[in-house]
Amino acid sequence: MRYLITHGMIIDPSQRVATIGHILIEAGKVARMYEMTDRLPEADPDLVIIDAHGCLVTPGFTDLHVHLREPGEEHKETIATGTQAAARGGFTTICAMPNTHPAYDTPAVVRHVRQIARDVGTVQVEVIGAATVGRQGRTLTEMASLVEAGCIAFSDDGSPISDPAVMRNALAYSRMLDVPIMSHCEDTRLNKGWAMHEGAVSMRLGLPGYPAAAEEVQIARDITLAAMTGGHLHVCHVSTAGGVELIRHARQHGVRITAEVSPHHLTLTDRWVLGTLDAPPSAAQGSLTQRLDQYSHIYAAGIQSMRQSADLPLPAWLNPTLLPPFHTSTRVSPPLRTEADVEALIAGLADGTLDAIATDHAPHALVDKQCEYGLAACGISGLETALGLVLTLVHRGALDMLNAIACLTEGPARVLKRTPSSLRIGTQADLVIIDPDYQWIVDVNQFVSKGKNSPLHGQRLKGRVMLTMVAGQIVHQELGFGMTPRATPVASRLEGILNTDDDDA
Amino acid sequence: MTLPESMRPTRRHVLDLDDFTRHEIETVLDTAIGMKEILSREIAQVPTLRGVSVVNMFYEESTRTRISFELAAKALSANVVNFTARGSSVEKGESLLDTMRTLQALGADILVLRHSYAGTAHLLAQHFRGAIINAGDGSHAHPTQALLDLFTLRDKLGTLERRHIVIVGDILHSRVARSNLWGLTTMGAHITLCAPPTLLGNEQFWLDTWPDLRIVYSLEAALQDADAVIVLRLQRERQEAGLLPSLREYAQFFALTSARLQAAHAGMLVLHPGPMNEGIEIAPDVAISAQSVIEEQVTNGVAVRMALLYHLALHLRRKGA
Repeated sequence: MRYLITHGMIIDPSQRVATIGHILIEAGKVARMYEMTDRLPEADPDLVIIDAHGCLVTPGFTDLHVHLREPGEEHKETIATGTQAAARGGFTTICAMPNTHPAYDTPAVVRHVRQIARDVGTVQVEVIGAATVGRQGRTLTEMASLVEAGCIAFSDDGSPISDPAVMRNALAYSRMLDVPIMSHCEDTRLNKGWAMHEGAVSMRLGLPGYPAAAEEVQIARDITLAAMTGGHLHVCHVSTAGGVELIRHARQHGVRITAEVSPHHLTLTDRWVLGTLDAPPSAAQGSLTQRLDQYSHIYAAGIQSMRQSADLPLPAWLNPTLLPPFHTSTRVSPPLRTEADVEALIAGLADGTLDAIATDHAPHALVDKQCEYGLAACGISGLETALGLVLTLVHRGALDMLNAIACLTEGPARVLKRTPSSLRIGTQADLVIIDPDYQWIVDVNQFVSKGKNSPLHGQRLKGRVMLTMVAGQIVHQELGFGMTPRATPVASRLEGILNTDDDDA
Repeated sequence: MTLPESMRPTRRHVLDLDDFTRHEIETVLDTAIGMKEILSREIAQVPTLRGVSVVNMFYEESTRTRISFELAAKALSANVVNFTARGSSVEKGESLLDTMRTLQALGADILVLRHSYAGTAHLLAQHFRGAIINAGDGSHAHPTQALLDLFTLRDKLGTLERRHIVIVGDILHSRVARSNLWGLTTMGAHITLCAPPTLLGNEQFWLDTWPDLRIVYSLEAALQDADAVIVLRLQRERQEAGLLPSLREYAQFFALTSARLQAAHAGMLVLHPGPMNEGIEIAPDVAISAQSVIEEQVTNGVAVRMALLYHLALHLRRKGA
């Protein structure tokens, strides 16, 4: 099958290209680019035209940090469902974390997982090996054999390596393999029994806190060890302003360090745990009891009827008061931090201190979340809302579009020391078509991921993945997208709305 | 008993005092005066809540709160059942929500929940069709304790307006302190917190949330001009967790002793939510001194809980009708 994607805004950070034109996909590769004035190929029954008017066409995204739960916790997610969710989110390559049962700590398990991914995966799956046997933090795994079996990095994600000598050896030993050690930086002695970020909200709610310092001291430790060993340290899901500052300083001093940040840490704060408590009157009127009644019907009935496409009035994005207090969907590790941390993380992305946006997609079953806040499993099902969240930053002017796309494509490739996915002629056609103005309301029941655990349920997002292609094959397509001419691109339609005053004059 | 229109209950759950207005608190306290009168009768029982089912769901050790709720419900002729985590399906791994649904299916109208995790009362309130009363959730809230403290203080001091109340002890982990802060400040009292920094947590939080509040590390200084002091229980785990060097040192600097009592304002009231660690946070002679209202707190607790049960049941009936 050949595809011609027409009238899209082609954004390719790897070539510093942003132009409107057409792309021809043939034999799984990017075959040709056309400018708007060029003559298009003749109509042909074998040529599928995809009209991308008003949309962005970008290289496929890479997610450095995904929990696929297979083997061992297939009730939470499988490689099949996780890769389908990835396709919906625009990710054409995802890296699977090894906190499975068994862990990805032997070549046999890694080969097995890669085989399943080849058989049933809709996108490319890379495997991150466990750094220590059984993720126990004591004995290094057979890293060289694991790299031979296909591992592209090592991590004990979720179980930080507490013994500094083990971390030192992991960083040193991995040097000969030239792969990163992805560190979940958390000193677990500083946050015993934690439920959320330690700050004003945890004080108010009486929940045990996870201080920013518990992340920062571990980042500082790992930086020192990376500097000593020359190993490549990759800091997972940075969540604190102090963490960003430490990484910035380490970069300036030549430490081999890269870092990622999650969409939720870039957009949500610990205020979300407070939910409707202290909601401004306009957001939720009446007593707490009445408010509880209001949202219980939203939760029970689903929100399908509220789903609309364009032309919704845009209020302030992302409203934490849609959630009841103590909603376990907000429990995540590291926890949602403060506004000051969010601003520092955005600044870190903008100035290149942080390389990549990675979802830390952590699907859980309902029973893991429908319980006491402090007992709830940590994690957010993030693949399908990642782009929408990242684009909230673009829409409010905090991040420019090219930079945002680069953090989803070039940045992760830099961490893995690979050639970034690209729209260069002759490269494998892994690409995404995004409608940046498409407004939609998140409904977790519509997720293809088994993990319905998202604090974004009911939130309005602007920007959506309309089509995802892996090696020239469509792996995700919004119903009917691109098959009929999009006569009025959304962007110009919005322009028309904004200019009504001028028309009248 | 009929209530004037301004006292008609509109509340469905009692989760904390942070969403109580001054008027609502006063309504509950005024109702409790009537309930206290009922308790003093020869036959201390009225048929008001006949047919209403109250279940005490206690996932954490408690003697006085559970018995207090039980007696309150019985004085109003409600059906009352006690459920404790020990010897129930919880031990077989049933979740809190499943247990709640079972109790709902069995006909429970009001659930009284005590749980060691913060936020559990809010969790049940999202799913239960009847009313929830929070009888203490983790370090978060203990609204009925705070209401009975307010009742006792108002009874003794006449008003809470501009009265100076000291709270001393493990404030960081205290649901009693949190709920009392909401209640006391709503009623116009001035608060001083007294504790070592390891038991205060983020001090800026207290000051930002209640700008008139004072934090003082010296108990002697805190008690100057105090109208009442609420002494909090010190859990021994705090010392084991390293928040305190020793219980001996804590007692030396933060216990309410008769020497500290004598140095304070003569009529200063002494409150304690119980159970007491005598010799640690409070001296035994202080606990039974003339200034101590600890036993009255317990008695008033029954009346205040009767008032809450009554208000919630009325609201449920009105909604049901």
